[in-house]
Amino acid sequence: MSAAANRTPHAWLKLALPLAVAAIFLVAWDTLVCVSASEVFPRPLEVARGIGELAQKGLLLKYIVASLFRVTWGFGLAVLVGVPFGLFLGWFSRAYEAFNPMIQIFRPISPIAWIPVAILWFGITDLAPIFLIFLASVFPITVSATAAVQNMQPVYLRAAQNFGLTRTELFRRVILPSCLPQIITGIRIALGIAWLVVVAAEMIAVNSGLGYLIIDARNAGKRYDLVVAGMVLIGLIGLVLDLLVRRLETFDEVRWGYANRS
Amino acid sequence: MSLRKTLLIFFAGWFLAISLLQTRLNPESVRGLGEYFRSFRKTPDVSTAQFKIGFLPVTCHLTCPVTDFINTQVTGHSAFEPVRFNSWPELKEAYLAGHTPATFILAPMAIALREQGVPIKIVYLGHRDGSAVMVHKDSQIFRMEDLRGKRVAVPNRYSNQRLLFFRACKNAGMKITDIQLVEMPPPDMPAALYSKSVDAICSGEPFMGQTELDGYGRVLWLTKDVWPNFISCVLAVREDVIATRRADVQALVDGIAKSGQWLDQSVANRMSAAQFVSKNYYMQDPRLLTFVLSKPPDRVKYTRLSPLKPDFEEIEALGRESGILQGTAHFEDYVDPSFAEAATEKVEAWNFEGPKP
Repeated sequence: MSAAANRTPHAWLKLALPLAVAAIFLVAWDTLVCVSASEVFPRPLEVARGIGELAQKGLLLKYIVASLFRVTWGFGLAVLVGVPFGLFLGWFSRAYEAFNPMIQIFRPISPIAWIPVAILWFGITDLAPIFLIFLASVFPITVSATAAVQNMQPVYLRAAQNFGLTRTELFRRVILPSCLPQIITGIRIALGIAWLVVVAAEMIAVNSGLGYLIIDARNAGKRYDLVVAGMVLIGLIGLVLDLLVRRLETFDEVRWGYANRS
Repeated sequence: MSLRKTLLIFFAGWFLAISLLQTRLNPESVRGLGEYFRSFRKTPDVSTAQFKIGFLPVTCHLTCPVTDFINTQVTGHSAFEPVRFNSWPELKEAYLAGHTPATFILAPMAIALREQGVPIKIVYLGHRDGSAVMVHKDSQIFRMEDLRGKRVAVPNRYSNQRLLFFRACKNAGMKITDIQLVEMPPPDMPAALYSKSVDAICSGEPFMGQTELDGYGRVLWLTKDVWPNFISCVLAVREDVIATRRADVQALVDGIAKSGQWLDQSVANRMSAAQFVSKNYYMQDPRLLTFVLSKPPDRVKYTRLSPLKPDFEEIEALGRESGILQGTAHFEDYVDPSFAEAATEKVEAWNFEGPKP
């Protein structure tokens, strides 16, 4: 049976509603710019032309790849560090008590405040933005992994003890699977933050990327069409990234955690 | 497929694909990373490290890209690598951390850094004049006195544009507290003036010319009217680099002196520079640089760039008055005039015909 046949009669609404809202938004934007007769703020069509110009110059793909490259590595490292560290803190309450205050001190510091440190340590290389993106995403991931272990239902652990599981088995077959749904939610939020930070991270002397596009366009005279083009591109790619992470939630290993919600 | 398998395949593929694409589309990024990791294996040697020069896309730093472009066109390579920053703090931090051995920087900021113990020496000036005070064309501000009680944007606490207002107030018999100074990054100034959130803006070009070109800005006065031969940016070099690489620093100063002479030699040269600098370095519409480099041609000047004691004494005095300088560093501490002296003796304009607009 085809997938379409499985859908409810209102499945088309899932696509039509957001598109309608987007269309209303675009019309409102265009009208407001026209009414205010602003010479600085661009109209949607001018932004589209700006994106076309970027594509023509071969900059569109170059910038998108540069930003995705930095976010991939910064965020990837944050997952590699944050998930194990968070699980560790969740399991050993002494370690949690020791590290938690420090984590809470670092967590609210904006990546922009770290720019001087990033330049000092990593110079004017790509490592500086990668470091900023790492910092922005590692704390939410750690905190969500810690909370996942701490909120685990004690009944799973007791059952596991009755079966006489070893420590490794306990971790692999009970702790990790039971925490996965919450960790994935944390990762999803952190990916949003990582992508959000790209503009700030690219304020350092890099010469590519969507954040750079915005900063560069501000330097380039009256090119606010390109500023908004950068904003639009960041938003659209953010949407795609979120959709990709949400795909993870459809796996059985994760879905059970959401079962009673859908 | 199980979650683990899917994740593994997807993420391995994604990391590989994005890294390969980055290598292909942004090779300089990967080169920079390589350089960074190699620097751990051996202690960096200042005498052979690539000579990077920090600059911002403003006309005060124009000689930097011009020298690089002409060097590359004439000799096929450039001994220096201009590194473009987007704002003062990042430019200064990269210099302090030693990533750029030389940089174009605000003169009062260089003096303040010297006072704070940074091994910095000013070796040459970036330009003379080249700033303007702009007001909205509909405003009722026609003289300095009309700015009383108004909000005026300047680029930075350490900018000479801020000191300029101290001097202009004195000339007009006003106190600095009569106007309200706010700090704002120059790229944001045109939009701020357009929306009338500030009454006047003052920074280096091309941001002032932009408001005029777009039809909502009017020149209140040019720097040359209030402070003739105004200096805002200088070329500064780290002292250890001066000690170990004298020849390179001299070549840099010579190159910049030649570019200055070349820029002031003819309007045709300026128009040509407006084209190649806009397209290759500043990524701006060439109309902007064309406008500010020609209307009027003495809006910004690139000759007589040797650092002179009386000029800096005036900056020091205004700096103390405005509270940004302590007065503990003097001309001899923060200027090394030897390179400029050697350059003025022998340097003539580049023999270079730029691409026609």
